[in-house]
Amino acid sequence: MDPVAPNGNELLLALLAMGLPLLSFFLVFFVTRPWVNLSCAVSLVCSGLPLSAAVWLLAGHWRMEAPILWQLTWMEGGGALVTFGFLLDPLSLLMLVIVTAVSFLVQVYSLGYMAGDPGKAKYYAFLSLFAWSMISLVLASGLMQLYIFWELVGLSSYLLIGFWHHKFSASQAGKKAFVMTRLGDLGFFLGIIVLLLNLGDLSILGLNQQAAARLTPGLLTASALLIFCGVVGKSAQFPLLTWLPDAMEGPTPVSALLHSATMVAAGVYLVSRLFPFYQGSPQALGWVLVIGTVTMLLSSTMAMVAEDIKQVWAYSTVSQLGFMLMGLGAGGYFAGVYHLATHAAFKALLFLCSGVFIHQYATNDFFAMARAGARGLKVPMLTLTLAGAALSGVWPLAGFFSKETVLAALAELPNPAWLWLGILGAGLTAYYTFRLLFVMWRPRRLEPPPEHGERAGHGAHEGHGAAVYWVMAAPLLVLAALTVLLGAAGPALQSFLAWGRPLPAGAHHTWLVWASVLVVATGAGLAWLEFGRAGAAQQGFLSRMPGLWNLFANRWYLDWLYRWLLDHVVYGLFSRLFTLNDRRVVDGGIDGFCRATLGAGWLFSLLQSGLLQYNLFTMVLVMALVGLYFLLV
Amino acid sequence: MSQSTWPILSFLIFFPVAGCLVLPFLKEEKTIRLFTLVVGLVEAALCLPLFNFDMTQQGYQFVERAEWVKDWGLSYYLGMDGISLLMVLLTALLLPLCVLCSWSYISKRVKEFHFSLLMMTSACIGVFLALDFVLFYIFWEAMLVPMFLLIAVWGGPDRRYASLKFFLYTLAGSTLLLVAMVAFYWAGGTFSIPELSAKTYSFKFQYWAFLAMALAFAIKVPMFPFHTWLPAAHVEAPTAGSVLLASVLLKMGAYGFLRFCLPLTPQASQYFAPMMIAISIASILYGGFVALGQRDMKKLIAYSSVAHMGFVTLGIFLFSLRGFEGALMVMLNHGITTGGLFMLVGAIYERSHSREISENLGLGKYLPAYMFFFGLFALSSLGFPGTNSFVGELLVLIGAFKSNPWIGAAIVPGVMLGAAYMLRLGQKLAWGEPTKAKEWKDLNTREWAYFVPLAILVFYLGLAPGLTLRAIDPTLNRVLDEFRSRSGVAVTATVPETPLSLALETNAAGQAHKLPR
Repeated sequence: MDPVAPNGNELLLALLAMGLPLLSFFLVFFVTRPWVNLSCAVSLVCSGLPLSAAVWLLAGHWRMEAPILWQLTWMEGGGALVTFGFLLDPLSLLMLVIVTAVSFLVQVYSLGYMAGDPGKAKYYAFLSLFAWSMISLVLASGLMQLYIFWELVGLSSYLLIGFWHHKFSASQAGKKAFVMTRLGDLGFFLGIIVLLLNLGDLSILGLNQQAAARLTPGLLTASALLIFCGVVGKSAQFPLLTWLPDAMEGPTPVSALLHSATMVAAGVYLVSRLFPFYQGSPQALGWVLVIGTVTMLLSSTMAMVAEDIKQVWAYSTVSQLGFMLMGLGAGGYFAGVYHLATHAAFKALLFLCSGVFIHQYATNDFFAMARAGARGLKVPMLTLTLAGAALSGVWPLAGFFSKETVLAALAELPNPAWLWLGILGAGLTAYYTFRLLFVMWRPRRLEPPPEHGERAGHGAHEGHGAAVYWVMAAPLLVLAALTVLLGAAGPALQSFLAWGRPLPAGAHHTWLVWASVLVVATGAGLAWLEFGRAGAAQQGFLSRMPGLWNLFANRWYLDWLYRWLLDHVVYGLFSRLFTLNDRRVVDGGIDGFCRATLGAGWLFSLLQSGLLQYNLFTMVLVMALVGLYFLLV
Repeated sequence: MSQSTWPILSFLIFFPVAGCLVLPFLKEEKTIRLFTLVVGLVEAALCLPLFNFDMTQQGYQFVERAEWVKDWGLSYYLGMDGISLLMVLLTALLLPLCVLCSWSYISKRVKEFHFSLLMMTSACIGVFLALDFVLFYIFWEAMLVPMFLLIAVWGGPDRRYASLKFFLYTLAGSTLLLVAMVAFYWAGGTFSIPELSAKTYSFKFQYWAFLAMALAFAIKVPMFPFHTWLPAAHVEAPTAGSVLLASVLLKMGAYGFLRFCLPLTPQASQYFAPMMIAISIASILYGGFVALGQRDMKKLIAYSSVAHMGFVTLGIFLFSLRGFEGALMVMLNHGITTGGLFMLVGAIYERSHSREISENLGLGKYLPAYMFFFGLFALSSLGFPGTNSFVGELLVLIGAFKSNPWIGAAIVPGVMLGAAYMLRLGQKLAWGEPTKAKEWKDLNTREWAYFVPLAILVFYLGLAPGLTLRAIDPTLNRVLDEFRSRSGVAVTATVPETPLSLALETNAAGQAHKLPR
């Protein structure tokens, strides 16, 4: 399909969507910062308009037939062409709507959540920066542009995670996120260089259409895997998954943004973006499948023992991203993208609901929240339940349908093990989600709210009135509606993403639907027995297995391993040794040489004593030695 | 070569000297500062005629040549090509900024300080413009004295040791350069660099000449293991001294490699290239790891300089157009970024009177503008895409991967280390528990005035490096062609490289727009 140039309207709208958030960042950061309300207004307008533009574009191109491409040359020569611009096709349009919608809702929600925070204006500036980077990433026409905004997304999340200056742990978490994702990005960068040297074309359409024909299979696999390293870092996949749970240190709305539509979604988006390119290399897709599966199972186990509400959702994000990658790795392009879309809605909802509780009770521990009477907050409680049910895949919510498409994609694989692992993961997901929901709904005993600041305090703020409550509740209702509706939109989205072509008549597995319903019911049932029913001890079966409990609670000791490597190898060995070597050996050698020169000078200066007898003595001695030399030789 | 009618280059070199002649008659400190600032601005304005630079020509432009000592073949010979163009512009830009950043930092012997600053600039510009070996050597040595004074008089507590170390170390290197210069006169019969470059020398001669010159330049760059004078000098030097040291002086070593080693001793350069590449990789990794363990901000940046300059020498000894372009871009970008970082350290030193990281914590909340610039220059230093350093590192990496994937793979950890030490520094400065930061004021107008130009360059060179690359490409192609035709060793690359032309240009239809070459 040859791309077409945009008409004036499309150009204007796309540039508006890409440009406004940046404008807002500069305006708020440098000009309107002292006026908090004005800053919020600027930022909201500059994220609302891109949302309208995105919806407009999506509606106008619902039956689009060719991608729309607009680009500028950034670098050319040596057989290489690097461009900047935007590419509008069903995937990027869908993602654009998701990104702008979630970031707009989060900005509305933050009006309440961040009320009274002294850095509120700066917070909005960073949110705008975040939105700008993510929108530009989504619309990028070439890999180099995508990479630049990929890094900018990482930077803005670094700034937002470490937003609270008084929390050093937050900045640690931000740094960890930045360094770990950058570790993966190095692979991405190398992949770009490999492509640049061997293909000379970094445009996404070019890669998708020609890479398989023009690259040798080895190079194709190598570059696909190198690029996938970036995905592993960004989407927090095994083995770089430990930064995401720590990233909870930021404000909760940021977590909602980070976990649903931006940052981590960028990784899955990249694989979908380059899906035809990945299809050229079965090995690369195989690795995507393996990494996705390992990540999904590992992080589900971690979520089963977490007691921090945000931690549970963080682990579930990691596992759901793994699930999307499983779908993509199994060749199910629509499965991965569809689950990405539905997940964006219900995961944003889960975090925003949790934010209300955290805001209200100043604790992250959901056992404590429940005891403090969390179920009294009707809107967040009901939406939380709805989103949780969607996450576990309960019919007829969006999560059920997207999960089914992923499982159907897995069922197409020759090896049935993948399907069973996927179903197992679905069961674990249902277990840990319903565990949390039952604890929240059926607290053992009610207590007065804990002291402010005791265990507190990601979002501990004083003073929450009804207005604040409703500003925060309204986005919840919108997202809840999406969580329900997106389930019905599946077939429409599928034909949209397939360029309106008739859908392939895939095998319909009725038994698969029943199997997954059964597994979800088992997981939820187990959670009911342990946490929900009257008289339940609210202790999971894992607490009777301390070995496993410790393994899961310590994140399979991955963090410990990294810490050890960093402390003992990077800092302890290389850095310390090299520093010591620099002071003692390299510099010490030079200083020693200088001291030796000075010493020799001092020795010779002894000869110049000015005493006649010594001079005569030296002369005689030298002449005697010279005479001896001539005598003997 | 084009002869210019108006001696722009001599003006550029000697205008600051003329300023020096006026300085002794000024009394008020403020007048002295203002006067030097004006001299710096005029010097920068004198660079405007350089935009006549013909970007299609490969040879030297604005050439000035006059007989000096006829019997010895000495001449006053100046000329400018793409390489020197960038370096001269960088030097001229930094002079007014250095005056501004010393405004309140330097309070004793103000007149002498500005005198040294002006002399220093003259000598540096002279180094980049001289086309006569003796003239080059005179400027090369002349720049040592003001730098020595800057460290020894206005430096920190350990300034005597540091300044002496700097002086002797560099002098030791340049003595060998002197030997090489005399040897070339014997072998070639002239001191003119373009004429010497056209002659061929026996391999044995090249071998020793290369070693003598390379040692001088390697000390200047500095390459591992000749780098230890750098942290000492940086730590003790006043801000302006550090800035000039990092931004200009270090570049002279790399400039020397490009101007002398490659054209004069091509075969020996080829012969020693594996060693030079190995040392460059060692510099990158070693500098990065040592920077990771520093507690002093200036030391950390000094070691990061060692790592960055490793990219430069690596790019040069890859003998490919991408490598050369990358090397030159890293030279320029390092000058801007590291200059900015040293100015930032100087700015915070004026508030806290300490360069220890642990004494300057928690600035994010109280000095947001300061942290903005710090974040920007730190990101640029770690090669963040969209900033200037990214372009340079990208080009060097492409060159490295093209010539040998293992070289590329070896320097990749260096890129990661850059992120690690810069983030570590930035995180502590921004988020640490503030000790005294509450009482400090954010940047004042004067400080804004010297950070903004550098910040603009960070973005400009990062987003639209096209003009700069087009300016240096012809020269680099010439250097490369001459090198390839004379190195006498079969060149591995068979496909001729076409220059990159980078630009953010488009036509109305939005189609990719081919640029005229």
